[in-house]
Amino acid sequence: MPVDSVLRALILGSIVLGTLVSLLVLLGAFIQFQRDRQNVHRIERFMAWETALPAYLFREPGALREFSAIPRRDLSIFQTFLARYQATLGGAEAAYLRDLYLSLGIHESLPKRLQHRSPATRAQAAKEVAVFQQDQYLQQVIPLLLDPVPYVSHMAALALSRSGDLQYARSVLIWVLQEELYQRERLLRVLEGFGPDLLPWLESCLDMPSHDPEAWILYALLAASHKDPRSERRLLQLLETPHVDLQAAALKALAVLADPLAYPKVLPFAHHAAWPIRALAAKALGLIGGPDAIPDLIDLTCDRIYEVRRNAAQGLADLGHSGYQALAWLAEDPTADRFARDIARERLEWAEERGHQ
Amino acid sequence: MSRVWPVNTRVLVVEDDQSTARIIQARLEMEGLKVFVAFNGVEGLEIIQREDIDLVTTDLMMPAMNGFRLVQEVRDLPAPKGRVPILLISSNQNEQDMVRCLAAGADDYMTKPISAQVLVERLWRLHQRSSQQD
Repeated sequence: MPVDSVLRALILGSIVLGTLVSLLVLLGAFIQFQRDRQNVHRIERFMAWETALPAYLFREPGALREFSAIPRRDLSIFQTFLARYQATLGGAEAAYLRDLYLSLGIHESLPKRLQHRSPATRAQAAKEVAVFQQDQYLQQVIPLLLDPVPYVSHMAALALSRSGDLQYARSVLIWVLQEELYQRERLLRVLEGFGPDLLPWLESCLDMPSHDPEAWILYALLAASHKDPRSERRLLQLLETPHVDLQAAALKALAVLADPLAYPKVLPFAHHAAWPIRALAAKALGLIGGPDAIPDLIDLTCDRIYEVRRNAAQGLADLGHSGYQALAWLAEDPTADRFARDIARERLEWAEERGHQ
Repeated sequence: MSRVWPVNTRVLVVEDDQSTARIIQARLEMEGLKVFVAFNGVEGLEIIQREDIDLVTTDLMMPAMNGFRLVQEVRDLPAPKGRVPILLISSNQNEQDMVRCLAAGADDYMTKPISAQVLVERLWRLHQRSSQQD
């Protein structure tokens, strides 16, 4: 091949390559410019709506409420704008926000958005179903529990549980039990949405506690957060299951319910082999038994584990005057156990520093 | 019930979510209050030290310094700044958190979602109580 032909081909190739690179750079710059423009527009819209929203929300009850017209192309931005307030504002303002949402017809696009390819859009749609109480779309939310994106499935579970409708409880429970255990608090928040009626439902459908302790731990935590006295009988049964975490959850719940009749069933756990259980029992006894628990709490101030002694001393202090008298007696008694005397003094000093006595 | 706030009553809103902060600010300004906004506890504490704040409403979960810590820091200030009434707002309904915050010296506690009307009413009561104590 002649040299000048090779040279010409090289020059031509360089020109084509240069043109392509330049085009790519121009395209990138154009995309960036478009995104910046969208962001600026979004910020401008948010600022304008933020200014208009208080005037819409905080009128006298019964007064005519009007919000500036939202152009069709801005509806998706407005969905995000509105939904963020719904988590914060309750009462009448939440109802006014819902009215605004419905008046714009945004909910009509929910079926499409619940199946959108973008996870952010699916999650936003599930959130709107929950916060704006669009219960007619709940059936379409169920498949999202299997969504590969955890945020989307969490939003779907929240939407289903916030409806309070127990027909969705089984689907949500299956999802909950598949989730990681370390997320127990987060899962509990989801289940709380169903309200206290979920507790009897769980009792009727869960497997035996010895077969499925994790589910029953959630049951006990839920009973505590709802303070539901209907669950006490079952909680007392759970104490008999030889599973330390389950017993701990049941003790926490019984402490919250604080029924004095449960005291004799809780007392044996003050001598449990596992110290975390003894520590929880120490906490529960004072709450359940009131001043009658003082002798048992004094016994626990001699425990070899600090956490148990601390909870027992705290339990005494929480009883008020009679508890403080017991602590003062322990602190001054030269014949008292050294552990008991030290923890009583520590607790009294702590209270004195803060002026709690 | 009609409320007549004393002229120049100053409220500090400490809230990391700007939208929430603005909507609370707007509602309180409608009451004729002078509102300061801080986006975390550190900023909030600076404002309390710098201005004569009459009431504080603070979120619990915030970056830099959370509401619980802010309450503790404020209560460590000498009076009258250390006695400013504080209303904590949290998205968490955890009972232990509530007890912890009240024990640290917060005067009242609300959980989100909040009704703006109830918020104003609670602040009014806190203000009335603190005026009577003074």
